[in-house]
Amino acid sequence: MAHLEVEGICKGWEFPVIDELSFAVEEGEFFVVLGPSGIGKTTTLRLISGLETPDAGRILIGGTDQTRLPPYRRRIAMTFESYALYPHLSVYENIASPLRARRLPANERDKRVKDVAELLRIAHLLDRRPGEVSGGQKQRTALGRTLVADPEVFLLDEPISHLDAKIRHELRTQFHTLEDLRKVATVYVTHDYAEALSLGDRIGVMGTRGRLEQVGNPRDLFERPANLKVAEHLGQPTINVIPSRIRRDNNGLFLDSETGDLRLKLSGESEAALAGYSKDHVIAGLRPQYIRPIDEAADGMELLSAEVDVYEPLGTNGIMMANLGSMSLTALTDPEKHYETGQKVQIAVDVSGLHLFDADSQVRLTGIT
Amino acid sequence: MSGVSLQKVNKIYGSGADSVHAVQDLDLEVSDGEFVALLGPSGCGKTSTLRMIVGLESITSGQILFGDRDISHLDPQDRNVAMAFETYALYPNFTVADNLSFPLEVLGLPAELQRKKTDEIAELLRITDILQAYPPELSGGQQQRVSLGRALIREPSVFILDEVMSHLDAHLKFSMLFDLKRLHRELRRTMIYVTHDQVEALALADRVAVMSNARMQQVGDRNTLYNRPANVFVADFIGEPPTNFFRAEVAYHDHDTIISVMDSDLTLQPGTAAATSLRESQRKEVIAGIRPQNLGFAETAHFLTADVEISEYLGERSMLTVVNGTTRFQAIAPPDLRVNPGTSVRLYYEPLNVMLFDPETETLIA
Amino acid sequence: MNHATGAMTAGGTERTQDAWRHVRYLFLAFLGLWIVFTVFPLYFMTITAFKSAAEANLTVPTFWPQEWQPRNFIGVFDERTNFNALVDSFVIASANTALSLFLGSLAGYAFARFPRQAGGENLAFWILSNRMFPPVAILVPMFFLFDNTPWGTDSHLSLIILYLVFNLPLATWLMMVFFRDAPVEIEEAAYLDGWTPLRAFFKVTLPLVIPGMISVAMLCWIFAWNEYLFANLFVGTAVRTYTIVIPTFTHGSQTLWNFQMAFSLLALIPPVTLFILLRRYMVRGLSLGVVKG
Repeated sequence: MAHLEVEGICKGWEFPVIDELSFAVEEGEFFVVLGPSGIGKTTTLRLISGLETPDAGRILIGGTDQTRLPPYRRRIAMTFESYALYPHLSVYENIASPLRARRLPANERDKRVKDVAELLRIAHLLDRRPGEVSGGQKQRTALGRTLVADPEVFLLDEPISHLDAKIRHELRTQFHTLEDLRKVATVYVTHDYAEALSLGDRIGVMGTRGRLEQVGNPRDLFERPANLKVAEHLGQPTINVIPSRIRRDNNGLFLDSETGDLRLKLSGESEAALAGYSKDHVIAGLRPQYIRPIDEAADGMELLSAEVDVYEPLGTNGIMMANLGSMSLTALTDPEKHYETGQKVQIAVDVSGLHLFDADSQVRLTGIT
Repeated sequence: MSGVSLQKVNKIYGSGADSVHAVQDLDLEVSDGEFVALLGPSGCGKTSTLRMIVGLESITSGQILFGDRDISHLDPQDRNVAMAFETYALYPNFTVADNLSFPLEVLGLPAELQRKKTDEIAELLRITDILQAYPPELSGGQQQRVSLGRALIREPSVFILDEVMSHLDAHLKFSMLFDLKRLHRELRRTMIYVTHDQVEALALADRVAVMSNARMQQVGDRNTLYNRPANVFVADFIGEPPTNFFRAEVAYHDHDTIISVMDSDLTLQPGTAAATSLRESQRKEVIAGIRPQNLGFAETAHFLTADVEISEYLGERSMLTVVNGTTRFQAIAPPDLRVNPGTSVRLYYEPLNVMLFDPETETLIA
Repeated sequence: MNHATGAMTAGGTERTQDAWRHVRYLFLAFLGLWIVFTVFPLYFMTITAFKSAAEANLTVPTFWPQEWQPRNFIGVFDERTNFNALVDSFVIASANTALSLFLGSLAGYAFARFPRQAGGENLAFWILSNRMFPPVAILVPMFFLFDNTPWGTDSHLSLIILYLVFNLPLATWLMMVFFRDAPVEIEEAAYLDGWTPLRAFFKVTLPLVIPGMISVAMLCWIFAWNEYLFANLFVGTAVRTYTIVIPTFTHGSQTLWNFQMAFSLLALIPPVTLFILLRRYMVRGLSLGVVKG
């Protein structure tokens, strides 16, 4: 039995924010809701926590219907995007708040607060006020307040997205090692796909009106996106979207971009995906890491001539926007190399990374009809 | 158009015991038409520096030159410098066109010329279709462009951008980065981009100036900062995930120089140049650094053995957090790698990529 | 060529600096004038309080007492009820302040957190607008209204309640602003911690607005302490406020300026002391220091 069940909840009649959202989170599962800002992720958490009441649908926790229960009667801990720390109370008192609310004996309270602070490496800050600690430490305090509560469900709202890259990186690693989070049901909301892939046992990609575009494990989502929207949302730089035509001749199956600049011979995998697909047009998606500028061609590799538009050297990769005739493609490069605008380059395209979507519905083509 | 030159610039706020030395002996040369990023964590002095260049803050000592014109003590409006802010600061009750032409209106330019320039800049920023719209109707990215346009329309000799992208979503940020880079290429104007985000800085700028603790730490292009960071701070600040650092002891054998990482049984082989330099100095201790990107599974002669603690799948890549003894470090792995926590792995590296720093001064050992 | 440019630039800078210097002097002169304007009355009041009755009544005033007469400060209490007037004023001002704060906080919280259920922005504004019409317009109606109450007009209670007409709108409006600035998420976090709404209010919300409450208390208290118009009409026999005592320092057709000023000076002590003690909170209250993310 799932630990947290959300059954067809709706919020807002005239302009629905959430329209019939359903999902379930198992005990011990870390469920990530991924989506752009303003799509209804936070509203979903507020509905689960009871800060808002759904207009329709049910919320079950541990098998009992808690839809109408006020938040302080539910065993739910939640972090807020703004941290929502009590500015007039010390870090210690902030963390102790859920225990004081439950009137826990002083010695037990003290022990649990200190244990959590130790775990989150803020034990030396317990006497400070929230205004006197850094952003990362504020987030740790907020996290401490939720961890100490020993709840049935954890709700985490963009807990690390407003922090600097370095601290974000550090806290993300820490989420992996916090065993408490792995014991009960956790719903984690973020707009950062890397966070979602890294942390989620399962991920739900949220589209407009709280619709879940796809629910699955991280590899499913990234390697087999259910539709173009999911493919575009996951990955940085964004996947190349190439509206194309399918052409079949004696030599096999080909993909021609609408602009006519790109012609690719399709592999067996793509052929299987196209089985039973009767339209001429298709949308091809190709992640930038499958497009690389090449100095020397290996055997049998088909190279395309392109011209560098803009080039940005980053840490792990360089990102190149290259013009292929009238088409613009994003490619990944070795960051140590340098490319000038206007430079002619040879580009290799690896068709094994090709995703094919229905030209009209933008749904992934799987070949199974 | 002109370059910018900062010579021994100091900024001290207050006096006596309460004084704060916000910028200390700062030297920076930006050549004509160059795109330089001023990068540093918050509180490093980059904002004070930028405010001195613009003229919003007086200079305690030193000189700032635009070309060969000393502008150290000129009023902001006499410096011919424009600045785009983090917040868009557009007039909500003016159309985009009026927002753009406002700086020209202030200069008292004839209406015909104003219109012509507005059209030009709108075309450059690809906002021609929204000229008649009002700022509240626009998306964040569009507002950002209008804001850039308003700063650019006066044709300043120096153009400064202050954290202009920190509010944007990641996807939008990337497309704006490309736009900005195109814009610079077309304008070829001297630009200084102030940011705390190293990804933005590396992506955009010809050269990046890294500041910390009121001082300039290093100025260089991506490869210099990555491969030859001046000190531990730069090595740590530039690059994501951050560089792995190890406190280590050095042992000198007949031909070999071996670096043993403390609290673990890891040893590192330094590159030839570093080894020679170590031998000459005969130092006993170093801080060794190696980037997670430079630890991998492609076999070479040298490797580190450690147990996997966390394996994170990130889509385009995976990241491993591994541990040996009490030493914890990270490596980037291909996305199709599947390892369970507890597995022992070999992470290969090239000696060339081992960076060595003096444990006291934290500066790079040649 | 370069040299010439340099010289011109230097000249330009000097001119700008000169201009700034003039502006500075002008500003200082204005500031000086302002100080004289505000401090002089206080100064004249203080020295008059120490003068003899004769000296205080000179047609050509003296700016330093020819003879110091500190006995004035005791003399004002020759009439025993004068001290009681200070006590009466204190009781009325304090009780009214407490009542204004209590009711104002509740109403302000309702307007801030449940604007729709509480009647909306319009109702809140209408309440504030009560503060804006001239008090004298309701002077007589109020007198007859209170005359018909069991406690009549000449009582503590009449003024305590009457001053609510002026202080409650102010307290409600300001408390509404303070509560609105206190992030609602902090309260929500408290609910999720398991605090019931009432406990959350006292644990989290109220502490956040205390600096604001203190400034509201100051404003209410000072208004009630200093009110003259209504007090003059309402009370005078059973209850006397200090404000209606001040005009009574006369001797025949002659005003005892020295007594009047001495008594006024004494009446200044409580509000000034309060202000000095609570100044820290007032500044904080008026720029309510809520922690931002």
